[in-house]
Amino acid sequence: MTLLKADDITVAQGGTPILHPVSLHLEPGEPLVILGETGSGKSLLAQAIMGTLPRDLAARGRVVLGDHLLDAARPEGFRPLWGRQIAVLPQEPWLSLDPLMRAGRQVTEAHHLVRGLGTQDARAQAATDLDRLGLAHADTRYPHELSGGMAQRVAIAAARAGGAGIVIADEPTKGLDAARRDEVADLLLAELARGGGLLVITHDLALARRIGGRMIVLRAGRVVETGPTAAVMAVPTQAYTRDLIAADPENWPARSRRPAGAPVLTATRLAAGRGGVRLFSDLSFDLSAGRILGVTGPSGCGKSTLGDVVLGLAPPAAGRVNRSAGLAPTAFQKLYQDPVAAFPRHRTLGRTLADVAHRHGQPRDRIDTLLPRLGLNPVLLTRTPGGVSGGELQRLALLRLLLVRPRFIFADEPTSRLDPITQKQVIDLLRDTAAAEGCAIMLVSHDPELVARTADHVLSLAPAKTGGDLSGQAVKRAGGLG
Amino acid sequence: MNTLVTRGIQALMVAVLIGAATFAMMRALPGDAAYRIAAGRYGYDNVDTAAADAVRDELGLDGPALPALLHWLGDLLRLDFGNSLVSGQPVIAEIGHQLGASLSLAAVAVVLSLIMGPPLGILAGLRPGGLLDRGLLVVSTGLKAVPQFLMALILILILSVQFRLLPAAGYGAARHFILPALALALGLAAVNARIARDAMARIGAMPFYSFAQWKGLSRRQALLHHGLRNVSVPLLTYLGLQFVTLVEGVVVVEAIFGWPGIGHALVHAIFSRDVPMVQGTALCLGLGFVLINTAIDLLTARIDPRRAA
Repeated sequence: MTLLKADDITVAQGGTPILHPVSLHLEPGEPLVILGETGSGKSLLAQAIMGTLPRDLAARGRVVLGDHLLDAARPEGFRPLWGRQIAVLPQEPWLSLDPLMRAGRQVTEAHHLVRGLGTQDARAQAATDLDRLGLAHADTRYPHELSGGMAQRVAIAAARAGGAGIVIADEPTKGLDAARRDEVADLLLAELARGGGLLVITHDLALARRIGGRMIVLRAGRVVETGPTAAVMAVPTQAYTRDLIAADPENWPARSRRPAGAPVLTATRLAAGRGGVRLFSDLSFDLSAGRILGVTGPSGCGKSTLGDVVLGLAPPAAGRVNRSAGLAPTAFQKLYQDPVAAFPRHRTLGRTLADVAHRHGQPRDRIDTLLPRLGLNPVLLTRTPGGVSGGELQRLALLRLLLVRPRFIFADEPTSRLDPITQKQVIDLLRDTAAAEGCAIMLVSHDPELVARTADHVLSLAPAKTGGDLSGQAVKRAGGLG
Repeated sequence: MNTLVTRGIQALMVAVLIGAATFAMMRALPGDAAYRIAAGRYGYDNVDTAAADAVRDELGLDGPALPALLHWLGDLLRLDFGNSLVSGQPVIAEIGHQLGASLSLAAVAVVLSLIMGPPLGILAGLRPGGLLDRGLLVVSTGLKAVPQFLMALILILILSVQFRLLPAAGYGAARHFILPALALALGLAAVNARIARDAMARIGAMPFYSFAQWKGLSRRQALLHHGLRNVSVPLLTYLGLQFVTLVEGVVVVEAIFGWPGIGHALVHAIFSRDVPMVQGTALCLGLGFVLINTAIDLLTARIDPRRAA
């Protein structure tokens, strides 16, 4: 028996369609994955099915949920089903729990107020739920005392406490590393195994692969491809799906190691801290022209601080950085995480770039030479930063760096705000730049796969520990690179 | 515990600064203090040079300033606030007498403002941009823009003079509270309502507030179980800061309604250059500010565990 059936769901903003008709059905025991990039309309689809669209968006279509028949144009009708039929898992579990209420109570209240159990029974049931999820000790903790993974499990327990059979998870692995991502996938599958249906919305191919079931690929508000997840991912029939799958760092071809050029800088026994916390110590490495050093580690481990020290923007607490003699200070440059914040907002991009070229005594035609090499259309120069896409802007940021003729680029999470296909383009360009311009590059990323397939060497930073001392992290060769 | 130590040190600094500042300001006022004090003691019609000179000699007003200030600080350490220059009574007894009247007026005003402001603000914040929200913005901006003395006069004109519903001044019966408390409360409620509205709008847009409803809670349940608790933290914090507005208002409103409180006493003490009374009263209000904010710190730390850490 079909749990949920949605027919011809559309979403429009002020008369402009942003999601074209999509139909889907959810069967018991078989997960459904909706895959797409940012802006593909995948979250809108989910919100239209749950009746949680923002007020300025209008949905149309029909949703059949068990014996309820609902009109997507009237979201109020969905409200009684929340918690009772549909459990919605939030994107960021930490932000989804009331910061001022203990974890156990947030589950208890759903049993009490939604399912209608008595106070004692609700409390006992909540304790059982948390225990089943391995959270018996989290009952009396506040959300800020929980790890992200624990918060996620509390949110699942709270969302399902009302007795809902269908779980809808919107980007449940946003910002998680690989280990945590698999944990979440297993948790969702375990919930599915208890009966009911599962709908997962994601841009994460690894999550989609692990969830399995059936899949709908969305692009720019239209369905590109549907089918069993395993089949779509193994043999995509559409060009877009192929590009999307090829753009997953796990599927990038390993690159051959290039010969090292002239040495650019040497770091010896570096140590640095921030706010009284020692981030790393005893860190030694050297970099040569044409080489890429990847830096990975969990957030807050000191990746950006390391960049500041190497660039000479912050002094090290111990150790030293030797930059090659004869290189100007401007030969050491940084590529920022958020390109939007790195450009003056109200100036045309052409003007900004011309200023940089002028300041550094570069001929104007250097911009024109670089544009096609970075795959950029000259017409973009007449626009302001708000008028180009994130990927284009990051490539323009790279172009701006190259105007200064850098010998070293510190790229700080340069693709974390880009979708997979654009991410691959930008990383490819960075690799080409290292080779063509003879630059040494330090590439920071939280994605170990991406770093492993891009860098010549990998530097893994351990999480910073308060009060504790950190042992040195040796530079190790990236696995699988010849 | 840390909070208490910090606040204790703050209280000490407040005491010293207020003592020195009021002392300096009283000395800097134009006119001969001896005449003013004499006028305060014997009435304006009975002041002559002889009386002023007698006061001057008795109080040593010609003496240097610094020893007089140090003397006051020394007394303060022994919890001795000195005697009123006018009445000759111990300052602490006079303040103790007036403080009760002021506290009861202030308490009634705060309660009234809490009944009027936050509920309207929360209702407005639940639908930002709605009719109530826009209406409340106009009303609260208007009310806040009216100075308290003008508010008091308007209330007197309308409710006492025009409709003869309430007494224009007086002290003792419950109905005497209504006008002065209302004059204070309207200004407080105007800002309370804005704070509550902004907090509610911010919290209503947070993921956890949506998630509470996705769990199956009704709008009402989400508000009662998650909204109010979260709104109360910024509201309480702001209440502590509002104490300044309250003190300012108490001085003005008490003078207008003839309320025998600490604000009224402060104004009279300044007129008659009664330095120990001014110092004592200002000290009392300053320490009250520290005390109220300490209490609010402890309270918000109980509600919000993140602050306790």
